Amino acid sequence: MVLSGWEAVFFWVFAIAAIFAGLLTVMARNAVHSALFLISSLLAVAALFVLLGAEFIAGVQILVYVGGVMVLFLFVIMLVNVGAEERGGQVLNKPRQVTVSMVFCLLLVLGLLFAINVGYKGLQTRDEKAIASAQALRQGQQQDLHRGATRTSRITTDTERVGNSLYRFASLPFEIASVLLLVAIIGSVMLARTLKQEAAVDDLAPDVVAAEAARDPELAETPPIS
Amino acid sequence: MSTFFAPALVLLFQEATAGRADVMLHSVKNPDLSKFLVIGALLFVIGVAGVLTRRNIIVIFMSIELILNAANLNFIAFSRYLQDTGNVNAVAGQVFTVFVIVVAAAEAAIGLGIVIALYRNKETIWIDEIDLLKW
Repeated sequence: MVLSGWEAVFFWVFAIAAIFAGLLTVMARNAVHSALFLISSLLAVAALFVLLGAEFIAGVQILVYVGGVMVLFLFVIMLVNVGAEERGGQVLNKPRQVTVSMVFCLLLVLGLLFAINVGYKGLQTRDEKAIASAQALRQGQQQDLHRGATRTSRITTDTERVGNSLYRFASLPFEIASVLLLVAIIGSVMLARTLKQEAAVDDLAPDVVAAEAARDPELAETPPIS
Repeated sequence: MSTFFAPALVLLFQEATAGRADVMLHSVKNPDLSKFLVIGALLFVIGVAGVLTRRNIIVIFMSIELILNAANLNFIAFSRYLQDTGNVNAVAGQVFTVFVIVVAAAEAAIGLGIVIALYRNKETIWIDEIDLLKW
């Protein structure tokens, strides 16, 4: 897998954008700025996915992460975190903890880079022949693909293959994932209920209701639904 | 500290380029699998640094998303690599990435629900003030 020409240029543009946006996510003082930088980082990584020939995953990334998860994040920031940084308070942890974490991260990145360098060299020598023989095959397959309407590119069957393997080989994990999402929805609804909502469905211990009603007289007036 | 790390950096650079500038230029013009892995590693470490250093619990959740995204990048890069070694139907990495995204979405929903419940009870989002389990 070697990119060349414009692909290489776009690779560097999006790689540097992803890393810079990631750094700014971690360093921004305001949580809303953090979320916006994280959105740009995710978009840059989605562009890298397109360069790697994974168009479907890039689309899922933009729809689910940027369109779903990050909007949820922004809503929660607006509910919970309105001007928390301005109201005072350190952005970072205690200085000693920050120093130790930074040293740890430096060691981690050096170790990872070393492992990638050494491991990739071994991978290259192992797969040299396979890559060379597969290249001709792959080019032949590229020629067989249908052309797009603009005649400048070819329509890949990548998404089709991902869908096939998803339903053929990973159908059980797929169903488990849907159950996981259902549990997550129900769990977050349960977690985010207010005390009043909990009292309304008679889901509180009587002594808790009594203690809270002493503080908030409105609570005593909400009768249980059942 | 720099005297300690400088030999390691020189070693890494030599490993990557065999000590020659034209090799390095060629690898910059033709990025391959290892470049994607390096980008993934850097994003991962940035996420780890965010989790370890920030006090705002929501920013910590965002750093976790960054870590998961770095893992996704590695999955996709290796999936493409396997396709190029003749394994034409090697899309297992892409299929796994779908599940990682699903789990990340579920984690964000549950985690933010917990944040809202915590804020309602403790009126804080600073993690060093949330120490109910501290003995």
